[in-house]
Amino acid sequence: MESTSPFYSLVPEVKYSPPWQDLSIIGIAGSSGSGKTSVAMEIVKSLNLPWVVILVMDSFYKTLTPEEHRKAHANEYDFDCPESIDFDLLVDTLRELKQGKKAHIPVYSFADHQRQTQTTTLYSPRVLILEGILALHDPRILSLLDVKKLTWMFAWDAEVGDHPFYFTKGLVLILAQIAVLRDVRERGRDIEGIIKQWFAFVKPSFTKYVEPQRPISDIIIPRGIENTTAIDMVVKHIQRKLQDKSEKHTEGLRKLGFLAAKVELPANVHVMPSTPQFVGMNTVLQDPATEHVDFVFYFDRLASILIEKALDLTTYVQTTVETPHGNRYMGLNPKGSVSAVAILRGGSCLETALKRTIPDCVTGRLLIQTDVSSSEPELHYLKLPPQLEDHSMVMLLDPQMASGGAALMAVRVLIDHGVLEEKIVFVTCAAGETGIKRLVAVFPKINVIVGRIEANGEPRWMERRYFGC
Amino acid sequence: MSSKDPTPSPAQGVGPIYRPDGEKPTATVSKEVSYENVHVLAQTPQLIALLTMIRDKRTARADFIFYSNRIIRLLVEEGLNHLPVVEQSVTTPVDRAYLGVKFEGKICGVSIMRAGEAMEQGLRDCCRSVRIGKILIQRDEETCMPKLFYEKLPADIADRWVLLLDPMFATGGSATLAVEVLKQKGVPEHRILFLNLIASPSGVAEFAERFPKLRVVTSFIDQGLDDKKYIIPGLGDFGDRYYTL
Repeated sequence: MESTSPFYSLVPEVKYSPPWQDLSIIGIAGSSGSGKTSVAMEIVKSLNLPWVVILVMDSFYKTLTPEEHRKAHANEYDFDCPESIDFDLLVDTLRELKQGKKAHIPVYSFADHQRQTQTTTLYSPRVLILEGILALHDPRILSLLDVKKLTWMFAWDAEVGDHPFYFTKGLVLILAQIAVLRDVRERGRDIEGIIKQWFAFVKPSFTKYVEPQRPISDIIIPRGIENTTAIDMVVKHIQRKLQDKSEKHTEGLRKLGFLAAKVELPANVHVMPSTPQFVGMNTVLQDPATEHVDFVFYFDRLASILIEKALDLTTYVQTTVETPHGNRYMGLNPKGSVSAVAILRGGSCLETALKRTIPDCVTGRLLIQTDVSSSEPELHYLKLPPQLEDHSMVMLLDPQMASGGAALMAVRVLIDHGVLEEKIVFVTCAAGETGIKRLVAVFPKINVIVGRIEANGEPRWMERRYFGC
Repeated sequence: MSSKDPTPSPAQGVGPIYRPDGEKPTATVSKEVSYENVHVLAQTPQLIALLTMIRDKRTARADFIFYSNRIIRLLVEEGLNHLPVVEQSVTTPVDRAYLGVKFEGKICGVSIMRAGEAMEQGLRDCCRSVRIGKILIQRDEETCMPKLFYEKLPADIADRWVLLLDPMFATGGSATLAVEVLKQKGVPEHRILFLNLIASPSGVAEFAERFPKLRVVTSFIDQGLDDKKYIIPGLGDFGDRYYTL
């Protein structure tokens, strides 16, 4: 047995914080139909980034009792009062997201006034715009809102006219007429019902619930969507926030690399032995004179060996089988299913080899791209198989690991989706030593299969060779 | 050479080195032999699992073929490691120097019909467009000795390294005859690599002594042979299970 590496004790507190960990939440409040959604959409459109999302508080309406249900259909139920919203669930959801975890957002049907059985999953936004009449009502939500750095914002002390918009703790408070058309079109309700509801609830509730949110607002936007100056200010603020986060993330990665550089590779990092064939294949692959067709052939062959090696790490249980001649053999059976998650684009290079070994392997995909200017990895797309957490092993495929930023992020994504750290096997053809050390410093229980140790900071080129572009 | 009461194969915990012994499942692993020219694949848990699959009589033909091919590829990869290489340095696509190696010497496969032909796919998966010769050896009804019925081999076989393919290595009668044929064609003994999935301890021992320069690469050395000279526990008739059952 190998002695325990001093690795863990040396760096006890290494942690990786993905950029979505310290989520910024912007609250937009305002009365029904005042244009909250339009403002939120405008902000998202101006930012044009995949990790800015809108969370509509309507999703958190409580399922109505039969009695309330009857009232609702008669348009006698007050949807604008705080009691109609499941604030506990909303607060829990926001807290989960704030910790960088995956959250399930309920789906509410306005036609049935019921929460649907299915939910939508929200994961890894860096900015969340919470939009709802009572976005600022609950003090627990206020404490989660991104307020501290909003000192530059000002309160627009406009008269509460027809269209005042309030930005508050990073929120907009909007008053306006009811958006009749929207309610009819998107919510499947009749016009008379809406008018009835407006006089009975919307208007009174403005005075009762919306107006009190005004003093805590950081900014108030009169004229809502037309107020491009105010919206632009919010957009600029968010951009600055994102820039800060990005710098913090990159700096965090750099520090982790520095910390990890001093230690030895631990036993859970398996570097493939340099057999003549393995080195020979690596030589063919690295020779720019190699034809494309040969590159693909040798890459698949080498990758198959890596996958076979990774399968040694899954769980096996003892079994006794009988041969056709009636003899018994005490062997092993793999326990549970093995799945794979490819880190795109490069990870899909390894799929030919994967399918050669496990033809029906369940496969998830993550698109992580490294920003050219900041060299910060960014999660663009995520599609994971269901019940991933129940699999006995999840292979994470990436042909090349340079600094390990994408790898850290990918492992974190799997863990956030319930996969135990010790079930993750990172499979790569070539990796820099610093990158590997950084990865296992943060996630000491994962296994890593590495084909070849390459120079630190080697740019990614294998996928370009494999795909020919 | 056969014995009625073969010594049982060893059983041991199988798993990665870093895993504590208590956490490794126990399985029967290959017998060890002391011949330098016999190479047994590392007894990893997944190799044992693959062997378990193909030994199991309940395994259907499609799965039998698939799992056999996976073991055969591992065998071929290990076999190829015995071929010579020469140093070669290249400048990588990102302008770094890499000191690697280049494959040296031409190879060919020779399968002992019919079961050996089942290993051709695995060989081709690792060596594209490899030449493959064939040898048909059958048991002579009168003498009960193996007899050469047919051979078709590359003309320049004497200049090549030969990967001799036969999945089941029981008494080694056919394999011995095949090696004699190859030697007659001018292939030096040290350029022959005999790849097989399951071998009997007696067959391997006799073979290793008779051809000390030839290398045997096998995934498992079984317990022994029964009265009918079948490998115990073995996996039944490989050719039947691969081609017809």
